[in-house]
Amino acid sequence: MASAGESGDGADGKGVTTITIISSDNEAFEVLEAAASMSLTIRHLIEDGCADGGIPLPNVTAGILAKVLEYCSKHVAAVAASSEAGSSSNAADAAAAPEKEEDLASFDKAFIDVEQDTLYDLLMAANYLEVKGLLDLACQKVADMIKGKTPDAIRQTFKIKNDFSPEQEEKIREENQWAFE
Amino acid sequence: MGRGGSRAAPAAAAPPWHALPDEVWEHAFSFLPSASDRGAVAGSCHSWLRAERRSRRRLIVANCYAAAPRDAVERFPAVRAAEVKGKPHFADFGLVPPAWGAAAEPWVAAAADGWPLLEELSFKRMVVTDECLEMIAASFRNFQVLRLVSCEGFSTAGLAAIAAGCRNLRELDLQENEIEDCSIHWLSLFPESFTSLVTLNFSCLEGDVNITVLERLVTRCRNLKTLKLNNAIPLDKLASLVRKAPQIVELGTGRFSADYHPDLFAKLEAACAGCKSLRRLSGAWDAVPEYLPAFYCVCEGLTSLNLSYATVRGPELIKFISRCKNLQLLWVMDLIEDHGLAVVASSCNKLQELRVFPSAPFDAAEQVSLTERGLVDVSASCPMLESVLYFCRRMTNEALITIAKNRPNFTCFRLCIIEPHTPDYITHQPLDAGFSAIVESCKGLRRLSVSGLLTDRVFKSIGAHANRLEMLSIAFAGNSDLGLHYILSGCKSLKKLEIRDCPFGDKPLLANAAKLETMRSLWMSSCSLTLGPCQQLARKMPRLNVEVMNDPRRACPLDSLTDESPVETLYVYRTIAGPRSDTPAYVQIV
Repeated sequence: MASAGESGDGADGKGVTTITIISSDNEAFEVLEAAASMSLTIRHLIEDGCADGGIPLPNVTAGILAKVLEYCSKHVAAVAASSEAGSSSNAADAAAAPEKEEDLASFDKAFIDVEQDTLYDLLMAANYLEVKGLLDLACQKVADMIKGKTPDAIRQTFKIKNDFSPEQEEKIREENQWAFE
Repeated sequence: MGRGGSRAAPAAAAPPWHALPDEVWEHAFSFLPSASDRGAVAGSCHSWLRAERRSRRRLIVANCYAAAPRDAVERFPAVRAAEVKGKPHFADFGLVPPAWGAAAEPWVAAAADGWPLLEELSFKRMVVTDECLEMIAASFRNFQVLRLVSCEGFSTAGLAAIAAGCRNLRELDLQENEIEDCSIHWLSLFPESFTSLVTLNFSCLEGDVNITVLERLVTRCRNLKTLKLNNAIPLDKLASLVRKAPQIVELGTGRFSADYHPDLFAKLEAACAGCKSLRRLSGAWDAVPEYLPAFYCVCEGLTSLNLSYATVRGPELIKFISRCKNLQLLWVMDLIEDHGLAVVASSCNKLQELRVFPSAPFDAAEQVSLTERGLVDVSASCPMLESVLYFCRRMTNEALITIAKNRPNFTCFRLCIIEPHTPDYITHQPLDAGFSAIVESCKGLRRLSVSGLLTDRVFKSIGAHANRLEMLSIAFAGNSDLGLHYILSGCKSLKKLEIRDCPFGDKPLLANAAKLETMRSLWMSSCSLTLGPCQQLARKMPRLNVEVMNDPRRACPLDSLTDESPVETLYVYRTIAGPRSDTPAYVQIV
């Protein structure tokens, strides 16, 4: 039996392969293999022939898995479109390229505009599934939440406990500001 | 319950951020380019302190004496790029005698031990020996970038070691260094198999280079983007070098001077025509205006033009600049004069940075017609202008007020009226009102140099209004201690203060001692300081290094001086490393 299901249903008659991914709470998601392969973890599982009957992900719940796959599908479609435009000699295609880039950028911006809980889950998932683009996007968002803030403000934002003594905190602040800035 | 903030009662519990693996935090921190953000992160909690220090790749040590090299290397074990700065800025004006310190050797030695994967090293105003360069070539197998700015202590022998030893070198950037010429053909030591060079800048090197070797090097380094030649390259060789590197983005032409020959002109013009990517141009252009049109084809693409060593003047220069409609940076000699700057104002609307240097600073006779008019014109017509360095001989309050109104977006304003104590040349008043207007209007001002006749009043304005000011340079200004007191008790963001020849004493220093711990450094030379109060300051603030420096030619040893002995130069800086051990005889840490 083939390790990846051939898509018989659906509108495209191109015969592109799809993969089934199963969340930790047993929900199944069918996506293009190309999209799923944006996750290095999943790609290795496919290559190792473990995709029979679907790939189980015990660490990722359905809600977050849906979002991750949404990201991957959108990005894989964008890559396909731009390589089509690149190989096309159609001036209209070439002219549309920057617009498509802008589309992707605004997709990403809206995609990552989420509550801390979701951001945390996306970070965990992107790290575990090794989806580089999504990990970078989420990390950039975290960095943006940090920029320009004092340690106190950072602790408030992330609800982190201050486990420094006042003397330690003073020493670190001095070292950073006096010597390494 | 965490410190520093109350928790809103029914709000959702925060996600368990502490449960994220260290490598995710390290990756997130890599999106924080500024050292101050990384520092804030490190100060948040133990696990972030650990993650941050283990993942810091780029380290800037703005004062080499603020930290011990070995401590820096131990604290940040993963550094790939380090930049270290040494002597105070006024060293550029000859105010720091030789053998003062700022040796690069301890930093190179510590890096060789603790950072074997180091790729980039940058030194500014430091003493770099040939042994340092040999150590660099031998210690870092993936060394890629060497940048030396305003350094001294090395020769072409050291450059030879770099060329021979650094197989993966991408950038060799030598800016304004004093390099001893040992007549070693260091360029020949790049192996024939070496092709990785992206930047080659040897513009400050006096002495010849082997041009055939240079041509072969340029030909085989297909990724060469920056090429800045020294004055030993004749014009026809320049043309053939440029022809061999049409991909060049930044070109320093070296001397650019020859008698006019139509053949040479055609050769140069043809070479330039091939340079579709040229964006930055510099060189010591001598008076050969006839060759300037050879560069016309690249003018429109230029974003940066550095003619600060060019003695070329006249209508050809101005015609050339007027074609550079996309210029963002222009450095030029005052030979451009007011009418030239008027053309800049109308042609170069994208200008962001302007520097005008004095062609004859020590000659009091007024030879060039460069006045406040030029600066007023440019600041009126260039909406993106935010950085100015301007040497001139006369100024008025009215001009400064107009400039301030036109350009509230200045981030750097350095005005150097050449003759000290020069008043407003029309009203004969001090220039207090003009500079006050600048600091009141330019709320984002980070760097300021003042000059001309100035009283304590201007310092009151600066102290009160210059809230973002980080660096302030003062010379021949003020009436009394009050001037200094205004600065030290105001200027919330001040990091570097350098003062020369002002009637400021030590009382404001003692009254504002705590301020000095919020600043990187303070320099005061030829002011009204005496030894006793400096010692008092040192006792009061044990974590500052208080260095007292006197004329090295004086026979009198510092220990025999009394409390009332005048102090020629005071250099105070905060440090986590304690007093330095490499002071010369004429420097005493009190």
